[in-house]
Amino acid sequence: MPSALIEVTGLRKRFGEVEALRGVSFHVAPGEVYGLLGPNGAGKSTTINILCGLVQPDGGDARLNGIDVVRDPVGARRVLGVVPQEVALYSDMSARENLAFFGRLYGLRGSDLRARIDRVLAQVNLADRAKEPIERYSGGMLRRLNIAAGILHSPKIVLLDEPTVGLDPQSRAAILDLVRAIAAGAAVVYTTHYLDEAERLCDRLAIVDHGAVLAEGTLAELRQAAGEREIVALRGAFRSEGVPAALGAATDVQILKCTPDELLFSVRSAERELSGLMAVAAGFGDVREVAIKQPSLENLFIKLTGRDLRE
Amino acid sequence: MAAFIIAWHHLARIARSPGLILILLAIPVTLAGIEYAAFGPTVASGKLPPIKVIVLDEDKTLASALVPQMFTGGGPMKDMFETSPVADRAAARDLFQKNDASALVVVPKGFQEALLAGNRAELQFAPNPLQTYSPAVASAVLEMTTMIGNGLLGQAAGPLRRINAVRTAGQPLTSDDVAEISRGFFEAGQRLNGLNAVASLKVTAIRPTGEKAGPEGSPKAFFAFIFPGLVIFGVMFISQSLALRLMRDRVRGVERRLGMTPISPAARIAGSFLFMASGLIAILALLLAVGAVVFRIEPRNPPALLALAAGFALFASALHLTIIAIARDERSASFIGSGLVMLLSLLGGTFFPAESMPPFLRAVAFVTPNGAAQQGFVDVLAHGRTLVEASARIFTTWGWALATMTVALAATYRKAGRA
Repeated sequence: MPSALIEVTGLRKRFGEVEALRGVSFHVAPGEVYGLLGPNGAGKSTTINILCGLVQPDGGDARLNGIDVVRDPVGARRVLGVVPQEVALYSDMSARENLAFFGRLYGLRGSDLRARIDRVLAQVNLADRAKEPIERYSGGMLRRLNIAAGILHSPKIVLLDEPTVGLDPQSRAAILDLVRAIAAGAAVVYTTHYLDEAERLCDRLAIVDHGAVLAEGTLAELRQAAGEREIVALRGAFRSEGVPAALGAATDVQILKCTPDELLFSVRSAERELSGLMAVAAGFGDVREVAIKQPSLENLFIKLTGRDLRE
Repeated sequence: MAAFIIAWHHLARIARSPGLILILLAIPVTLAGIEYAAFGPTVASGKLPPIKVIVLDEDKTLASALVPQMFTGGGPMKDMFETSPVADRAAARDLFQKNDASALVVVPKGFQEALLAGNRAELQFAPNPLQTYSPAVASAVLEMTTMIGNGLLGQAAGPLRRINAVRTAGQPLTSDDVAEISRGFFEAGQRLNGLNAVASLKVTAIRPTGEKAGPEGSPKAFFAFIFPGLVIFGVMFISQSLALRLMRDRVRGVERRLGMTPISPAARIAGSFLFMASGLIAILALLLAVGAVVFRIEPRNPPALLALAAGFALFASALHLTIIAIARDERSASFIGSGLVMLLSLLGGTFFPAESMPPFLRAVAFVTPNGAAQQGFVDVLAHGRTLVEASARIFTTWGWALATMTVALAATYRKAGRA
């Protein structure tokens, strides 16, 4: 494997009482798309902000192309392209003007700048609308331009922070293709809420929650970690206190979550265990809904975090 | 270099959609235009409009015909008044209601006779109740001239009393009476002769060095006094508008994105400062050009004007950059900014001349940034003060600018660090 362009080791950060990062570590190689998967507040944005030099870590080490982001944040940002979650562009200007401005901030000038603008506009399929004020653009067009502004200077490292939020499936698909193309020449970190995107796009993934990496690996490795187990969710109204003890006898049932309105179990065979689980749950309340989830990345996520990704 | 790129970028955006800035720019010009329309070109050429006094002459004698000259007869006040006769009290009332006269002076029948008889001669004065300042000036002038007249007449009071006594008694004049009356007039003449110097009394104006005299140099041009205050007021609001544009960029996440580029926070902050300050200096220059072309304000002593403009532009930029750095959102920034602009304008004498304020407020006015800059512009434009002569105002303005810039840098850097 080529040497890593992104090296994050034991990153820690505390905001007052909240421990946002608790020793996050990962590395990303050139040509690799690395997914950071986690719910809101998991620590994804704090990690991204530290890599951009916007937030100082309390401990640990983060290097971009070998440059320490704490000691030389400006130097680190030279090799970095960031696509923030919000469309952070000047709406009163055209796509070309926006790109020209950001390009100049990266030291690009003259014919080189113009050539790069032409190239990225073609890449994001906005060449024919390049001179219009972007306030007339659709959501998908704005997202594509947002990406174009992040890759104009051909960075070695690209961070994309949930770039498809709020888009229709067609626009999302176009952006995923674009990210794949970007990864051909760069190390990419991609944060997302969408498991299907992560499964489709990422070479390796980290499941992050409460400031820690709970699991990391390729999709195959993570699926293997999820095992062949299925997830059974019983929803209704329960007295949750006695449930773990009552299920203690069932050796093959793992309790993932136990709240007054939901009981979440991991089982080897839902078909075999469901009737027993229903009987136990009925003794503690009223079951109104039953859901069975097949082995998947989502199952692993729920198994590791005890909650759905969108919670 | 990055700071220049950022500043130029923002200035280009303003030039592309200048709508709001033009509206704000129009405020001082419009206010000055309204005053121009109200007072006309006479004011612009350096003269205040005359106070109109109407005279109702019920006596129609030689003495009563001289009454208007109490206002326009001569001396430094003569250009301040314009008198015109009025036929009767009803006509005078009509003119008052149209606000076409400031005061009425009635010369009652028997005025001349009373004067000649040495009796109490009375003039009646009626101020126009719709006005305040002009009737008070007319009343003061009338009282002053009657007091002087009474004083002069008092010099011959003794012999005049003797003549009246002899006439009232109906007795023929004796040689002693004539001798006493003659001696009285002789002594009065001697006393008045001692006042000969009054005839050649001359007032010499003491002007600061460099001040030009005469309307050609527009030393007392009305607009050179009022326009700077309006300009300062307008520039403060334009500064607020520019700062709020930057705040909107921050809310949209563009500022944060700039923080992800290889530009240091210092360069980003410098870019914002440069944008605001250069924009405001350009606007000040534009307003001074408008003042020169439209209101005939001569742009004298460019170094002093530039020093004042740069100092005030930096102050206004720093103030509003501080506000957007500490405000929670655009609404609160707008509220704080507008409140401060109004407060500074009130204290600095934009709405009420600082020189007419009570002593304490006057002292405060000239040390506020608005007041110092405004008075500095008046000193230069109206009095022709040089850079050195206006240095106190310039130092005060720059003192505020540097102090506010320090606060703005600290607040903005802290904000940039948190972004």
